[in-house]
This record gives sequence, C-alpha cells and structure tokens, in this order.
Amino acid sequence: MLLADFGTSYCKFRELSESVGHPYLIATKDLPKNLRVDLATGHNGKRFSDRYVNELTALARGGEELIAAPDYVLLDCGSRDIKYVSYRHGKLADMGWNSECGASMGFTIELLEKYYNLDYDTLAVPDRTFSITCGVLGMSHIFDAVTSGISEAEAVARFVKGIALNAYRFSGSPDTLYLSGGLCDNPLFVGSFPCNIITLGRYVLIKGLEKTAREHLSIAL
Amino acid sequence: MKQENPFAQLRPDSRVGIVGIPPLAVIGRLNSLGAHIHDLDEPQVNTDMEVTAPFLPRVYCAILRTAVLNALHLELDMIVIDVGPGKCDCALHVSTVLQDMLNIPVIRTRNEDDVPFGHPLCETRMSLLEKFKRITAGVQSAAPYQPEKFPPCKPTAGFWGVPPRDFSLLTLFPDTTHIYGWTRCMENKTPADVELEEIFNADVPTIFFAQSFCAKTALAKFLAAKHPRGLFLDVDVTCSSSTQAKIQAFLELSGVDHASR
Repeated sequence: MLLADFGTSYCKFRELSESVGHPYLIATKDLPKNLRVDLATGHNGKRFSDRYVNELTALARGGEELIAAPDYVLLDCGSRDIKYVSYRHGKLADMGWNSECGASMGFTIELLEKYYNLDYDTLAVPDRTFSITCGVLGMSHIFDAVTSGISEAEAVARFVKGIALNAYRFSGSPDTLYLSGGLCDNPLFVGSFPCNIITLGRYVLIKGLEKTAREHLSIAL
Repeated sequence: MKQENPFAQLRPDSRVGIVGIPPLAVIGRLNSLGAHIHDLDEPQVNTDMEVTAPFLPRVYCAILRTAVLNALHLELDMIVIDVGPGKCDCALHVSTVLQDMLNIPVIRTRNEDDVPFGHPLCETRMSLLEKFKRITAGVQSAAPYQPEKFPPCKPTAGFWGVPPRDFSLLTLFPDTTHIYGWTRCMENKTPADVELEEIFNADVPTIFFAQSFCAKTALAKFLAAKHPRGLFLDVDVTCSSSTQAKIQAFLELSGVDHASR
C-alpha cells in the first residue's frame, strides 16, 4: 500500500508493504503524470488517489503517533501554508490553517536561498526582524533593506525570523512547539522561534496516514 | 420612519426587499398586503460582488455586500432594513447607502420582538442545509409554527452563529447538528435576545461561526474559548477548501460521525 503526502514543492511517500518501508521524497515538479497511490493527503492529493485524508486530520493523527505529551501544539510549516493542532489532556483543543495571510512561506524561504546563493546552515539568527505575515508581501522588506545598505544575507535572515515569529504567534505562542515539515532542517528558521522547538521532520503527515490506514481502513502494519 | 404609514403606497404584488429580520408586525403587514418579500441577505443574483465596490468597502460584511448587490439588480418597490439591536450598526450605515443609491423608500426598523415562537427546526433531525433554508425562509412569514412536525433529536454536533453567506459549508455537518446563536434567535423570532444567542451546548463539539468583519466574530471567538470542544471559524464570501478541511478535520477528530464524508 502506497501512502503519499502531496505537498506544493515536495511529495512524501511510504510503501507499507515493504519490510523496511523508509519514507522518501520526490520534488512535486518531477512527479510522474500517471502516478496513483492508495491513500493520500496534501493539497494535491485528490488528483492522485481515490482515498484522501485532509491535511489537518493527517497532521493531528501524525502528532498522536509521535508525541507522548498530553498537552502540546504541533505546527506544520509547508511551502504554501501553515497549519497547527493543539491538544489538551490528549484531546483536540484547537486548530488553525492559514493559507492566505501565511501563504508561500516555505516556498519563499527556499527561493531566496537559491536566488541569493545563501546557505541557511551558516547564517546566524539575527537580533532584528521584519514584521511579516506573508511570504510574498514580506519580500519587499528584503528589497528595501538591501537598498538601505544591509547585506543580502542579513536581510534574508531577518525575513526568515519574521516568518518564524508569525508562525509562532499563529499557533498561539506556546512555550514548546513541535515543528513539522521540511523547514525542520533549516537551522536559521528553527533557531528564530522564541520558544522551545522540537523538530519532527517532514514525514509527520505520512505518519498520520499510517495511523489512518491501520485504525480506520483496518490495514495490518 | 419618515412617513406615518410608509406601507400605504404599496400595491398587491409589490416587491419588497428585507435586510435582517424586521419586526413581526411589519412582516404581518407585508403579508396581508400581498407583497412579494425578497430576503436581500441571501444571494439572489449571479453577479460579481465587485459590483458593490463603488458603494461599500471590499473589506466589509459579505451579508450586507450581498444585500447591496441584490438591491442593485432586483427591481424593488421598497426596502425594509432592520437596524436595531437584532441586527448591527453596519446595517444602519448600509441603510444610508441604500437610501442614497436607490430611488425607492428605505424603511428602517428596530426589531425588539420578545414573544418566543420556539426553535423546533434548530433541534430536529434534518440536514443542516435544509434546516437553514427553512429558518431563513421563515423570516418572510408571521404564521405560528407546528413544532410537532419537527421533534427534537439527540445532538452530536453544534453550529453556533448566523446563517453563513455560503451555505455550502453546512453540508459538512451531520443531520443531528443542533443550531445555536443568532440563527436560533431568528427561528424564535427574537433576534435581539442576547441571552438566547449566548447559549451553547458544552456536551457536543461546536463550530462557532461568524462572517468575517462582523461584530459577532468577537462573541463567536469568546464563546468558542469557553466551550470545551469549540472551534471559532470566520468566513468571508465563500468557504475555501482549507476552511472546509478545517471543519471536516474538527468534526472527525472530535469523534463526530458523518456518513457523507
């Protein structure tokens, strides 16, 4: 059984029937056109499967699999949008999905690294930040800063920190935040949050699909 | 009201648009005159909302933008708009806009009716969409209800709030969803009953809905925070796919069964 999380920039897969079913990644632009999977999530998922789990449900179920604490906030930062689930006493307490004002955050961060030829592993978390609620609109801050003499690297770092702060506030400003998505591998982004961050990586939604397959589709794993 | 009897000029078959819930006496009068009532709060013309941009800001209550859009396209003889505590200040200001925009009487009312009609539809087993259609249609009539036709069911979910501009989001809920908030006041014919509006059922997962840019967003968010399994939701003109997914995920993760999902 093939599970897939169809993201805007990257798609995540896991084949359940393989004995060592490590999840793997394919860039969305490289997906085979005739691809079909058995269970899908992600905003492109309905195109590739007859069985679909919506992203918030997959995120929540993935969190239930990976997080032992009864109270937590789990935030997924994707290319296109951000979403979170909040649990109290092991039960869903709140959730949010921001696909407009939080739009294009992950995609913009990746785009800027390539355009300015930067390496986020080497950039320090800046003291200052930009007030940013949207990746696209926030880019004008970078252009203005560079025009005023600030280095491109510093300007982009302030932008990334602004995006992290916006995501932090969107998820309710918790003391500890569990982070999901490809940005878990970006030390500048992770270090920009003003709270304790526990990274869970890119495959949280795939983990949620596994739980759905096991508990709701009665598939033995 | 500017005239002593603003309805004297109405002929049978006159077309009267209403905004909000005018007092029962007014609705009864319109019924007795044989007027055709058009609920301007609901989408009635298939035209781009941008047409209202010269008259209202784009960032404004989608229900009132819809009322203006309807008023621009329906050939009405009169508009009756409720601007009292059962509606909102936005409606008061929109009444000024409508009066300036149109060459017909725009009658302002203040509905403070306090005789409860009951709210059987809010608690009966029926698709949520159908319940809302019937409740909103009920605004045009002053006839008493027949509650025995709509026995109450045990609720599995709750919908608190106003009738949404986009009814499609209602299809995401199970038939056993009970309705609370201003829609309940609407069916009860007491739109200014704040105490009734604030009631919710803490035993069932509940969506607290308000139109974006509506003053009721504050009450919806406040009550959602008080509810042990409540989710605040605001939607502008149409319900986006991410908003639909949010409702579906909330109900599913709260253990609410819905066969159509």
